[in-house]
Amino acid sequence: MPLMTMSGVTKEYQLGKTTVRALRGLDLEIAKGEVVAIMGPSGSGKSTLMHILGALDVPTNGVARIDGADLKDMKEHQLVTFRGQKVGFVFQTFNLIQTLSALQNVELPMIFQGIGKSERHHKAKDLLERVGLADRIRHKPSELSGGERQRVAVARSLANAPEIILADEPTGNLDTESGQSILDLLKQLSARDGKTVIIVTHDPEAAEIADRVIRLRDGCVSSNSVMSAGESHA
Amino acid sequence: MRKLSDFFGLALRSIIHRKMRSWLTVIGVFIGITAVVALISIGLGFDRTIKEQVSGVFGVDTFIVVNEDAFMGGPGGGNHGGGAEEYALDLELLRSIDGVKVAAAVRERTGFVQGQPDADGEVLQGFLPVSGLSPELMTEFESFTGELEVLPGGRLFEPGDVDVAVLDYEISQRLGVDVGDTILIAGDGDAELDVTIIGIMAPPEEDESSSDGGGFGMQFSGGSDGDTISVPYGTMDLLWGPADDVLVTLVRTNPNYDVDEVADVAETALNDRGSEISAITYTDISEAIGTMTSTISAFLAGIAGISLLVGGVGVMNTMFTSVLERTKEIGVMKAVGAKNAHVWTIFLIESGLMGLVGGVVGTILGLGLSSIASSLIGNFFSIDMVVVASPILILATLLGSFALGAFAGLWPAWRASRLPVVDALRYE
Repeated sequence: MPLMTMSGVTKEYQLGKTTVRALRGLDLEIAKGEVVAIMGPSGSGKSTLMHILGALDVPTNGVARIDGADLKDMKEHQLVTFRGQKVGFVFQTFNLIQTLSALQNVELPMIFQGIGKSERHHKAKDLLERVGLADRIRHKPSELSGGERQRVAVARSLANAPEIILADEPTGNLDTESGQSILDLLKQLSARDGKTVIIVTHDPEAAEIADRVIRLRDGCVSSNSVMSAGESHA
Repeated sequence: MRKLSDFFGLALRSIIHRKMRSWLTVIGVFIGITAVVALISIGLGFDRTIKEQVSGVFGVDTFIVVNEDAFMGGPGGGNHGGGAEEYALDLELLRSIDGVKVAAAVRERTGFVQGQPDADGEVLQGFLPVSGLSPELMTEFESFTGELEVLPGGRLFEPGDVDVAVLDYEISQRLGVDVGDTILIAGDGDAELDVTIIGIMAPPEEDESSSDGGGFGMQFSGGSDGDTISVPYGTMDLLWGPADDVLVTLVRTNPNYDVDEVADVAETALNDRGSEISAITYTDISEAIGTMTSTISAFLAGIAGISLLVGGVGVMNTMFTSVLERTKEIGVMKAVGAKNAHVWTIFLIESGLMGLVGGVVGTILGLGLSSIASSLIGNFFSIDMVVVASPILILATLLGSFALGAFAGLWPAWRASRLPVVDALRYE
């Protein structure tokens, strides 16, 4: 059984007086442990799809099932708990809290799950070590480079040991080298930890690490291509 | 609970991060708190100062009997024309009441007085105030009368004295009499009495600080300076008949009696006998003072409260700005698992903390201000003003300032918590 199933998903929202139809009957399945790149031009519905895959939003119509749970049946607080435990987010602009150190930023998701201080501290330190920032844990985001910030964000996405990592243009604000190391990190999460990694991206490099590339156009899946082993691990 | 302490940490960091704005907001709060704390504290100090002065005179076992119009709450709302009202009194009835240990009264008349012929054979005479004083006044109620001093060679009244008098210094000079001389006092009708002078009051010192030891301004002569002729209380009966001209009566109760109960019994008994009096205990006076000072305090604190309101609006403004500029941060928190209630709590703690810091600073400044003001007031009225730093006031202020901050943050925090996560994340 796939980890995520979208069938006939539509999403409409109001922008002033016009109704925007961002998703128009989208069908999609993602298996556990897969690395999936979602690509498509601006306005194709990538962000909207990511919001639904991350339980940040619910479809207007259709079925969105994640790990057996139908998002439409969930109340707001259930969605919060769900994404808190099942999904880790990595954003294009890092979205770290400026007032908190790297360590505290990684601890943040655990605070909302009610995890105790020492356990939190320990886990956050391990995660930062894992992304290669053992010596930067006391630094504030403003004292870190772009690549380092995104590493902190990856560490934060792993805080509550989620099954799904959702990365929205994770390399969009990074130079090639930093971008590549972030992609390596994401690939590793799938290969080593069996996480399901979904990357929404414009970046062909990002697509290269994916097992599968899903292209969107006008709110629907336009192509769904499995990458060959040679291609994906080039 | 664990989360709550973490939320405190998050809120605190956010406040510290925005130092300048936070301090400006806090200043808005502490100005108001300073004013409230200072005014209430001065009010409490004033209240306690007056009560201490009164209790120093009264003690816990004493009550006074005055005309029912003379004390606050009487139908006239106070005495007329500044002088104490007179009343009729059956002193023996009062003394017979269970629990009364000793009672002493003061009555006063204007009487015709005739001195001794001088060297030229001229006799000075005229109408002068004549006071009747219970001898117990001098022995039992020194705290009221102050230390009464007679010139050497004289003495004050003792029980059993009848046809004797003690003269104020000035009138003794004018009448040209001394201890051992005799003067004539005429009362109602044919009643008249030759009384022997047994003492001349020491002339008042030319010192302004006359309140020292003088009780709380209780005057036993009719208010005129130095021209009173005092005779024993009982002697007044011989001249003017039963007392209907009593100014004040002082009563001490026996130990183990409740002074308020005895005072109530006395009041009822005397009023049944035709007196129109109030028996006033320390409790009554302290209640009256309390009502007065707390009304004044409440009024002043109310005015200071307006500045507190302004401070609260400042907190609200800051929090709204904070919510706006942290929209994205709120989105991130919600994306990583923060519930609406979490966001709400964090913002509420943040605004509450700003209120609390304002409260701490305001309390310290307010207490400082009140002790400065107290010493100025004390100097002005030449009294020792008590400075009150009531723990209840301090605690209430700190809790109140946190509540003020939190209350001002309610709406902004609610707005923050209701932001849809997708919109918040998109916010630039």
